[in-house]
Amino acid sequence: MADHVIVVDGLTHRYGSVTALADLTLGVPPGVTGLVGANGAGKTTLLRILLGLVHPTAGRVSVLGHDVAADPLAVRARVGYMPETDCLPADQTAADFVAYTAELAGLPPREARRRSSETLYLVGLEEERFRHLGDFSTGMRQRVKLAQAIVHDPALVLLDEPASGLDPEGRDQMLALIRRLGGFGIDVVVSSHVLTDIEQTCDWVVMLDAGHLVRSGPLTGAERSRTVTVEILGDAGAVARALQARGIPVAVDGSTLAVGPGDDDLFDAVCDAAADTGAGILRMGRGVTSLEDEFIARAGNPPR
Amino acid sequence: MTDGVIYDRGYRPYDGPRRGRRGARRAVVKDGVRRILGLRRKARRKVLPWSLIAVALVAAAVFVGLHFAAGSIAAALAQGLPRYGELFDFYSRIALLFIAVTGPELLAPDRTRGVLSVYFSRPLTVDDYLASKAAAYLLVAGAIYVVPQAVLHLGLAFLSDDGFFAYLGANLDVLWKVPVVAVAYLAIHGAVVGVLAAHMRRPGMAAAAFLGVVVAGGGIAAELATSNLPGARWLALLAVDDHPRILRDWIFGIDTQTFAAERVGFEPWVSVVAVAAVAGIGAVWVRWRYRRLA
Repeated sequence: MADHVIVVDGLTHRYGSVTALADLTLGVPPGVTGLVGANGAGKTTLLRILLGLVHPTAGRVSVLGHDVAADPLAVRARVGYMPETDCLPADQTAADFVAYTAELAGLPPREARRRSSETLYLVGLEEERFRHLGDFSTGMRQRVKLAQAIVHDPALVLLDEPASGLDPEGRDQMLALIRRLGGFGIDVVVSSHVLTDIEQTCDWVVMLDAGHLVRSGPLTGAERSRTVTVEILGDAGAVARALQARGIPVAVDGSTLAVGPGDDDLFDAVCDAAADTGAGILRMGRGVTSLEDEFIARAGNPPR
Repeated sequence: MTDGVIYDRGYRPYDGPRRGRRGARRAVVKDGVRRILGLRRKARRKVLPWSLIAVALVAAAVFVGLHFAAGSIAAALAQGLPRYGELFDFYSRIALLFIAVTGPELLAPDRTRGVLSVYFSRPLTVDDYLASKAAAYLLVAGAIYVVPQAVLHLGLAFLSDDGFFAYLGANLDVLWKVPVVAVAYLAIHGAVVGVLAAHMRRPGMAAAAFLGVVVAGGGIAAELATSNLPGARWLALLAVDDHPRILRDWIFGIDTQTFAAERVGFEPWVSVVAVAAVAGIGAVWVRWRYRRLA
């Protein structure tokens, strides 16, 4: 894991009796990484641990080669963070606020103001930068949040649900901005429960479910087409059990099964299982949103 | 017509200096001063703080003018014109209003707007943040006490029959007495407003609560201290606004009035302890609150 931007080893965090993260071990390579999971899966807790804002119950975390527990300030000096929640002061202009956050990262005031203007230009707020943030729309506020995360030229940015609350056009623009960050040499971790966003944006994915690591690996075209979605007429649970008895992963969502991942022999296995249990097959095909299928197959339910 | 080319300015990496925590602390102090004074904010945010500053400065000029009108320092004293110690009574009221208006604005909005999550993602600790906010508060609110006293001091030096520098040399004690008393006022008021601003959502409510605790609460405690309730004398210590004034009388050797704590037999050093205790408890309380929020 020597070339990994983030290394997590045996990470566990509990809030009282609730386990938010359970024995995570993973490495995140350079590039754009998606952190996927339902609300409450532990994504935000993991991001806050990466920043050194939350001290884990157990385990070790290294970010950009720094041990987070030993030197959190060194990590924060080179990391940008875009929180999911509202975090903008209504009574400041966008230019002032972004310049201030640059100064908080240690940039001299003159440089901070220059980079504030440049970064707001980059996120498409050149004309609005002298308006007060209280007058901004949701989309503009999300852009300011992204601007403050990158204004100090971080080596890594952690984006927590960056497209949250945006309309489809705004979402596409935000995802395009995030993709561009990778081209600037900034490594990105973007957390989302919208899997299509991750599929469009990322080249590595970390899946969390109820604090457990479901998967950490590359997002490749081959893996995107390895699940089969089946709509069953009859007892879907019995078909699922028959498939599981053959060692095939299955997730049940009502009468729909997400089967796999696996090769083309999955189709034969599904037909055999349906015949064995007396169920009918209404529809069967490769998953359209394959990441969601995989998440269902591995975690049991789609992230919400 | 010429052909135009649109260039994407893209993104420029930054390889200049990074000042780390020191730069972050300086930024918080600067932002704190701006927030207190309403600088780089909408015009309505400037009205109250600058009005109170204007009153303080005009009053300083008036006090100096009255001394000049009296003709000499001795004549001014004979007429009962206020000097360093007595002047605190007037300026502490101005400062009390100033702190009520600006103190909650210094802390509450960062918390209620969720901005702390951004600030603490930078190389800035909770202690850095709070110490820098306190520095901004001491800098601006302290000026309300110190600047008018400095104006009076220089005015009296000009008026002195002994000459400007002879007066300054003969009154060097003012240089420590005024700051010490100012710090006592600022510490006790800052602790109370800090605790309230760390918990209340609306700065206006925190301002009202601050005035209620300091003025009304202090007055009620002072009255109850002289009642026949068991252990009533200890209530005098809750009249927090009296302690810096008792300290002021003690340091300047004047007797402006008999405060509740004095009426029930507490020595002036008890007020020194009370100021330190309120300031200490306030600081620990606010720190505890913000460590939970970070």
